[in-house]
Amino acid sequence: MNKKQIGITLGIMCLILTFGVTLQIRTMNSASSTASQTLADNELRDSVLKWKEKYDNISEELKRAEKVLEGVRQTATQDNVTASAKEEELKKNQTMLGLTDVKGSGIVIELQDGKLDNSFLTIAEPSKVLVHYEDLLSLVNELRNSGAEAIQINGQRIVNTSAITCEGTVIKINGERIGSPFTIKAIGSQALLYGQITREGSYLNTMKDTGVDVVSVTQEDEITIEKYTGTMNFKYIKSVK
Amino acid sequence: MKKVKLNNMAVSFVMFIVCVCLMCVMFMQFRTVEETDITDIKNMREAELRKSLAEWKSKYEEVEEQLNNTNQKIKEYNEKIGKSEEAAELIDKELEQSNLAVGKTDVEGEGVVITLKDTEEKDVEGWDLLNLINELKYAGAEAISVNDVRIINTSEIADLGGYSYISVGQQRLEGPYVVKAIGSQAYLSSILNLKDSGYVDQSKSRGIDVKVEPNKKIEIPKYNGEMAYKYLKVEEETK
Repeated sequence: MNKKQIGITLGIMCLILTFGVTLQIRTMNSASSTASQTLADNELRDSVLKWKEKYDNISEELKRAEKVLEGVRQTATQDNVTASAKEEELKKNQTMLGLTDVKGSGIVIELQDGKLDNSFLTIAEPSKVLVHYEDLLSLVNELRNSGAEAIQINGQRIVNTSAITCEGTVIKINGERIGSPFTIKAIGSQALLYGQITREGSYLNTMKDTGVDVVSVTQEDEITIEKYTGTMNFKYIKSVK
Repeated sequence: MKKVKLNNMAVSFVMFIVCVCLMCVMFMQFRTVEETDITDIKNMREAELRKSLAEWKSKYEEVEEQLNNTNQKIKEYNEKIGKSEEAAELIDKELEQSNLAVGKTDVEGEGVVITLKDTEEKDVEGWDLLNLINELKYAGAEAISVNDVRIINTSEIADLGGYSYISVGQQRLEGPYVVKAIGSQAYLSSILNLKDSGYVDQSKSRGIDVKVEPNKKIEIPKYNGEMAYKYLKVEEETK
């Protein structure tokens, strides 16, 4: 009787052990596939870097070519009055499209995600202290409303085709990721821009009230804003004759 | 009696060893389970890597295309140096293209027409238009107008008199607001119609009446205000 009991107990134990070992083997198998995956990951990472480098190089090349084009365009049109007037207009268009580096007077706004403290405000709605894409969109709109002629957020020039979006917690402008802290530069009338942006009830001030950390708004005499680095290729619009 | 006792001891000894073994296996098990979690993250990383690889590739291709265009133009201009008539033709062509982008010409093409209407519970606000225009740009719209006012780079939107008027590019507009966008019909409408997170569902949940119609031929007029800048100076490179 006793022997039988021992036999059964041992049998059960063996079964459990086998089960455990089988599981073990299965996870071992998946672990080895993890190793090969890391290898694939590294290869992927390498090719991402390679393409990024290729992109950087060709962008440099494009920059040089554009300068050459500007030169030959000027040389080719200089003998013809109407043509050189058109060349001037073309340059102005490029500036309006955001395809040239520009400078001028204006304001610089620095802001960042607020810190979560124990105040009632942040406990009630913690996400309010963060800067969202909606905030940037509204700020850009308010800057335009105050006559801004060129706007840049964290190095991204806002052009005609720029969208400000979010994917999960990441804000993207022109398809590039940007994050807190934010530096917003705007060229235009200093007085008008500063007055509108810091007036009572302005969008920036309502953001401040909800807990966003507005570090500074400064008027500057010479702000430099770099040109849009992406490409503008229009495929769908045709001019109406 | 004594034999039984011995037997009992042997049994408990065996049991003890088996228990230790089991515990070992269990611990290993736990560890591998943890590792499998890491594997999941690695998978995610791989997907992310693939995405960023595709992004860089497409950016490279875009720049490559533009570089080819620019080189082509350089070649053409070089051939026309000294022949001012033909150079004038070239600049005409370039200017036309650039005017198209800036918004100085009437344009046409396929796209979507979106109509926003007030409802009893909610009026259309400036934000609704601002957000819509942003979404359209994200979906690759090349020209946009609101009630036939062309949206250009500096166009702003403001609420006037409560929400009864909205000014777009300093022109006072009244609802219903008809927003036209030229771009890929299919892509524009699919982005706007994304379930729940898309503009249409979001606006409907805000209580606004919104309608999206794809259209094969949309006309958008040119910007009819003055286009000039006072404060910008083009930065000449100092090298």
